[in-house]
Amino acid sequence: MSYLEYAVRTVPSGLRKVLYLNWPLVFLLSAICSVGFLMLYSVAGGSPRPWMEPQMERFAAGMVVMLFVAMVPIWFWRNISFVAYAVALLLLIAVEIMGEIGMGAQRWIDLGFFQLQPSELMKIALIMVLAAYYDWLDIDKVSRPLWMLPPILLILVPTALVLKQPDLGTAILLLAGGGFIMWFAGVHWGYFLAVIASGVSLVWAVMASRGTDWQLIRDYQFRRIDTFLDPTSDPLGAGYHITQATIALGSGGWTGRGFMQGTQSRLNFLPEKHTDFIFTTLAEEFGFVGASSLLGLYALVLVFCYVSAMANRDRFSSLLILGIASAFFLFFSVNMAMVMGMAPVVGVPLPLVSYGGSAMMVILAAFGLVQSAHVHRPR
Amino acid sequence: MSDLPEDDDAPRRPLRPLAPVLRARDRGENPDLIERANRIRRHDGIRERLKARAESRLLVLGLFFVVVFGAVGGRMAQFATSVPEEPRMSIFGSTITSARADITDRKGRVLATNLHTQALYAHPQDMIDIPYAVRELSRIFPDLEHDELLARLTRPGRKFVWLRKTLSPEEVQAVHDIGDPGLLFATRDMRLYPNGHLAAHVLGGASFGDEGVRAAEVIGVAGIEKAMDARLRDPDKVDEPLQLSIDMTIQAATRKVLQGGIDLYEAKGGSAIIMDIKSGEIVSMVSLPDFDPNRRPRPALTGDPSDSPLFNRAVLGVYELGSVFKIFATANALDLGLVTPDTQIDTQSPLVYGRFKIGDFHNYGPTKSVRGVIEVSSNVGTAHIAQMIGPTRQKEFLGRLGFFEPTPVELVEAPTGRPLLPKVWGDLAGMTISFGHGMSSSPLHLAVGYASLLNGGHKVTPTLLKRDGPVPEGPRVVSEQTSRQSREMLRLVVTDGTASMGDVPGYYVAGKTGTADKPKPGGGYYKNRNMVTFASIFPYYDPKYVVITTLDEAKVFAAGEERRTAGWTVVPVAAELIRRVAPLLDMRPAIEEPAQPGIREARNNH
Repeated sequence: MSYLEYAVRTVPSGLRKVLYLNWPLVFLLSAICSVGFLMLYSVAGGSPRPWMEPQMERFAAGMVVMLFVAMVPIWFWRNISFVAYAVALLLLIAVEIMGEIGMGAQRWIDLGFFQLQPSELMKIALIMVLAAYYDWLDIDKVSRPLWMLPPILLILVPTALVLKQPDLGTAILLLAGGGFIMWFAGVHWGYFLAVIASGVSLVWAVMASRGTDWQLIRDYQFRRIDTFLDPTSDPLGAGYHITQATIALGSGGWTGRGFMQGTQSRLNFLPEKHTDFIFTTLAEEFGFVGASSLLGLYALVLVFCYVSAMANRDRFSSLLILGIASAFFLFFSVNMAMVMGMAPVVGVPLPLVSYGGSAMMVILAAFGLVQSAHVHRPR
Repeated sequence: MSDLPEDDDAPRRPLRPLAPVLRARDRGENPDLIERANRIRRHDGIRERLKARAESRLLVLGLFFVVVFGAVGGRMAQFATSVPEEPRMSIFGSTITSARADITDRKGRVLATNLHTQALYAHPQDMIDIPYAVRELSRIFPDLEHDELLARLTRPGRKFVWLRKTLSPEEVQAVHDIGDPGLLFATRDMRLYPNGHLAAHVLGGASFGDEGVRAAEVIGVAGIEKAMDARLRDPDKVDEPLQLSIDMTIQAATRKVLQGGIDLYEAKGGSAIIMDIKSGEIVSMVSLPDFDPNRRPRPALTGDPSDSPLFNRAVLGVYELGSVFKIFATANALDLGLVTPDTQIDTQSPLVYGRFKIGDFHNYGPTKSVRGVIEVSSNVGTAHIAQMIGPTRQKEFLGRLGFFEPTPVELVEAPTGRPLLPKVWGDLAGMTISFGHGMSSSPLHLAVGYASLLNGGHKVTPTLLKRDGPVPEGPRVVSEQTSRQSREMLRLVVTDGTASMGDVPGYYVAGKTGTADKPKPGGGYYKNRNMVTFASIFPYYDPKYVVITTLDEAKVFAAGEERRTAGWTVVPVAAELIRRVAPLLDMRPAIEEPAQPGIREARNNH
């Protein structure tokens, strides 16, 4: 279904578009970022440096990018989605080659004002290209095996490249995010069931083979899996973060110790307190109330995205919004689960709160796409 | 399910139906408008179906999101309600514990304890300036080789490197001063032997087992530390020290006197055991040369292991002990009623048995009493007594005294101190064994044999642990009378015989010397290398302690010639030892021998 089929006339134009932005979403995102500023201020020991100020600058830049992306008509974005995907893929391959030629494992491209990680770009590009594909594809063909081949390849190729870096967190996000779009596009649920069932049975087979004659992997690999699944068995490695994080969470209690009163994070027990483990600082200082409020903000973002997607009669827009919202959901739920020791430590930051420019820019740009789809929706 | 694509079998309406298009053309309208209208209608239809499907899909996903939110929220609530717990070792699932009970002497003085210390390890990936740190480390610890250390720390992929197992506080400070965040300290306990060499062979030593950064297992590697490892590490008994039968004061005196004797007689080594003659408690046990259990040396790979400082001669030194054995044959014959102390024995030297000749140091004339045989230490006389007993009864008797089994003392090495016995125990073997040749045993065996024979005739079990309460008497090995007669004969050896230097005024020492030629590794004996032994008890009329002293290759220039026999070397050492330790053992010197019924002063008969 194409926009050419609709009267473009009804879409706002010029600066009037600003009035048609999904403003609640903008406020929600700003609120989440502000929580991040507060926490970065706190973990720096009550100082805007070294983390809060740069983060605020990037937030400002990110908001400009978001507005810019929102002003550009959504059909433009749809038309360049395959090109964007191709560029992101080439960049991924480029850093892969660079990483092998150069000594250091450099995973980004320096653009001068900020460092672009192709894997971040790929997160958006994959969602865009899948949404465009299912927009183009006749609805009756969605579940035909042959027509499922292209999207599967589109997902697996970048996933494999990212996994090789190795960046397990991003790989999971790409895989699961792609799966979400296929689910929304209407791929028959039997496929999902089959994939989940075979995944579970594969894991079961591997674990059940332990200690038997037909053991599928070696003993040391099992031990690695053990450490991965139960980080506390490796107190020097991954387990250290988890233990300290859970102590911080526990010490927060219901209402927390109060702003800037966190001990665990401020006494440097947590090496990654300003990035992946920033949620522990929040939970310690503001307790259950603060942590669940942030969870609530995230949930509201999802709600607004889904309402916007449901109201959008354009298939590309709708899939794009759902895809971005779902990726966002994966981001923060994986991070929180990781921090609380419910999932292995895979290195996923807390979106919009963790310190890190690249991730924030990408997320805000992605929400720019959501806004563009919202503004330019057929009416 | 509604989202099966096959379900959609509604008839497709053409986008440009011919009739209306023609009609529109007739009317001069743009027929494209019809197509557009139809297309919108068709897509609306698809959209309706799509929407229904999307809603169900969203519902499923929404449910999934709710579950995830619920799990995260629930977990947060669980944390919020939990009481914050201080990080403890147990959180890490660590089973490593450095708990280990102290070891004390019989009076509660510490022989082994634990000292809190630090180990040093490195996280190379956190180190700022590895070359600098390596330079400094090799300066602080001269035994850390610079290049090797650098290689260990810069090897790719290394995330954890142990550098030192224990550090002194000064060393900790020096490492702190390097200021590298990748150099880390692991707290742990180490085993400390505050008395150093004092009871080295008894204690053995300890080392680290499983090592973690929060604790390290301390495990025994030798001696009683290893033999009693389970008891020492038993979590229920860590607060309760293991009390040994050793008396630190006696042990120190023993070691000092023995060392003096070794120096004086230019011996290679020696051993001394002082044991309670009734309870079997070993009050002191020294083997020289010894070592510092705080820095237990590695076993030497070359040379004779029995010359190593690690070798416990008292328990493991299995030698032919020589004439000290003669009293067993005599006692056996007395106990069997074959002889009395006054029975005359043929001592004409040499005694010819088949193609073998048994000779004495001097020729002691045609006959001597049993008492006299012991007094002058006649091989020939003892061999004749052994012939009367016969190998079967002799073997049975020595077995009862514990000469065929390793001593059951609480040292991990003890089972390897197994006596060496002849392959065939015939008449000849029985004769040579009767004067201590052809059968090897350790000084501790001898102590047990003497104690059992001379304490009134009850078998003694040696132990290094303090015994609580009265010790039940062991099974009888000889009669009371045999025991007493044996003591009297041994007293005669000191007063009139070969051990005349062994008397200590007031303590009435009785004992027997032994001088054995050391065997050559390839067979045969060295002519001028002896193992000299003095086995003694005191006071002879009511013995309290048995004292076994040995010297390895002792010699002294005395009375115009070089002397290597026990009487000239080890006996004065033993006498000095008894002189020193008897008062420490709370024994008053007796001015006059207490008259006891049935006891005759053996000398008075002459």
